[in-house]
Amino acid sequence: MVEWIHPGLIIFLGGFLIPFIKPKKLKQAYFLLLPIAGLIILIFTSLGAFGAIPSWPESLHKFNIPFLKYTLTVARINKLSMLFAYVYVIAAFCMNLYALRAKSDWEHVAAMIYVGSALGAIFAGDFFTLFFFLEIMSWAPFFLLLFRGTKRSMGAAIRYILWHHFSGVCVLAGILMHVHQTGSIEFTHMPWGWGGQYLGYYLMLLGFIVNAATAPFHSWLADTYSEASPSGSIYMTAYTTKTAVFCLIITFSGTELLMWMGTITALFAVIMAVLETDGRRMLSYHIISQVGYMVAGTGIGTAMAINGAAAHAFCHIIYKALLYMGAGCPLLVVGTAKFNKLGGLYKYMPFSFWLTIIGGLSISGSPIFSGFISKTMTIEAAELIHRPIIFLMLEGASIGTFLSTTLKLPWNIWLQGKPEPPTEIRNKLKDSAVNTPLHMLIAMGILAFLCLLLGVYPNVLYQMLPYPVEFVPYTATRVFSIIQLFIFTFLGFWILRKMLHGHQTYTLDTDWFVRIPGTWFLRFCKGPLISLGTMLDRNILNLTHSIVASIRNPRLESTMTPRAIGLGIFIILALFSLFLVTKI
Amino acid sequence: MFYVVMILSLILDLILLYLHIFHYHFSFQYIPEFFALFGLFGCMLLILIAKGLGYFIVTDENYYDRRSRRQ
Repeated sequence: MVEWIHPGLIIFLGGFLIPFIKPKKLKQAYFLLLPIAGLIILIFTSLGAFGAIPSWPESLHKFNIPFLKYTLTVARINKLSMLFAYVYVIAAFCMNLYALRAKSDWEHVAAMIYVGSALGAIFAGDFFTLFFFLEIMSWAPFFLLLFRGTKRSMGAAIRYILWHHFSGVCVLAGILMHVHQTGSIEFTHMPWGWGGQYLGYYLMLLGFIVNAATAPFHSWLADTYSEASPSGSIYMTAYTTKTAVFCLIITFSGTELLMWMGTITALFAVIMAVLETDGRRMLSYHIISQVGYMVAGTGIGTAMAINGAAAHAFCHIIYKALLYMGAGCPLLVVGTAKFNKLGGLYKYMPFSFWLTIIGGLSISGSPIFSGFISKTMTIEAAELIHRPIIFLMLEGASIGTFLSTTLKLPWNIWLQGKPEPPTEIRNKLKDSAVNTPLHMLIAMGILAFLCLLLGVYPNVLYQMLPYPVEFVPYTATRVFSIIQLFIFTFLGFWILRKMLHGHQTYTLDTDWFVRIPGTWFLRFCKGPLISLGTMLDRNILNLTHSIVASIRNPRLESTMTPRAIGLGIFIILALFSLFLVTKI
Repeated sequence: MFYVVMILSLILDLILLYLHIFHYHFSFQYIPEFFALFGLFGCMLLILIAKGLGYFIVTDENYYDRRSRRQ
């Protein structure tokens, strides 16, 4: 009897075979089959073929391997990890379908390593296994960025790996300090408090929130995700941040600090998104913002908030992949996603427009779309613990999300009130209504269908959540308030729409603190510091030269015999021995 | 068309509030047209704050190209 088949390992190891399959159709079929194999294993696991999954927070432990004096638990199956695993493989299937014709096979390999290691991390039952998979996960996007092959993407790859090494080292230090203090490597809830003995936990939390792109450590995400290839970036939207949220739910749920950080992130990131004029960079800021909701839910820590965070992660992966695919369509077909170069594409790409609108309505949390059933859960949890400020900030972030993704993004890429796109863009398009490759539209269609399905039948998702759900999303109060909120957001957008047309800019964000003072520091080093160094060098050398010249005695030098030198050494050694003897 | 929907939503809000159909958690949510005002001013405030921040942290689009040329 097989103990369990690890879907992550199947996808991880199976990925390496892709470049060796030569017939093109077979290769594509195999590439699509990998996540389906993962999905089938998960369905069998849910059905209890490998043992019944107990109710949260109990879990099923598989593959217990002795390692040094510890026991590794490579697979720990519980309701939360199953929830994340399902959405990981479903999203991976759609992403593979979208990326089917990517130029490089190695991009596929990197993507499968990424998906496989993410599954490995969420099924990890101990810190060593978790760290192992997290480290692999931080390298896979590095290669996804590298395979785009432009100079900018290589720079982004280097910056990406620097950030993730930093977070990796923080997590490792935290794990080692925890193991040293407690002797346990179990990946479970960590203690929290203020004081020196919690240093390890602070480091671990820091590592996770860098991975979750929580403000002020979020700038890497917008900086790097937008530089990957159109198909490669889709993978990056889903796995790193959501795995970090998973880790936070397991280790630090109920930490009030996280609630505030998450809420501030959610609001701050939508403000930054207003400034963006590149489709994919703007959507990157919305990833940061939406992950902020999940982090806030984790911080609130009640059963409803944890359910909300997990449900939001599930919905978010689906609609964000859809939105990124939508913004990737013009990038792939006409070579840019910058707002000032686009507009009027509707005539040539109407399907991707409507599918992106569905993604936009989902992310902003409009009724009958998936965001509504998960986001309201987190907001309701904030209301139930009587936190009006958190409530207002999270609702404010909803306004910003609606403003940017549902209004600004489709308007600027597909419409801008122009019937035809600019000439240089028009020349790259065929005279038909379907310029986007069909497999991409199918991938987007599946995701859009899931967005609607979850919005209309929330119970599909609710019964998978860790805690039993006692939450009814569709109440007259909530539906009416959100619709009225969005109608008047539209009015605000319409009044100030002129302000949203700016020239192309590049937002430095919190990188400002590194880049601008960093440049000053480098300039200081290159200029004043170097000249100070050379000046000191020169003066000290001059000084020593003059001392040597003044004490050099030609007469003494000529009378110096080996005997005199020997005597001198003897005296020194004798004094030194005496010193040693008296000391001891 | 849009203005009609807008005005209808404002009237409907007053009616539903008067009929006690809404159940909120905080007292400020019971202010008439709270969500309309919040949406309108929230949206405008977000844009203005973003533009204000933009003076400090925005540089030109060719940030990286410019840097690599200089080196």
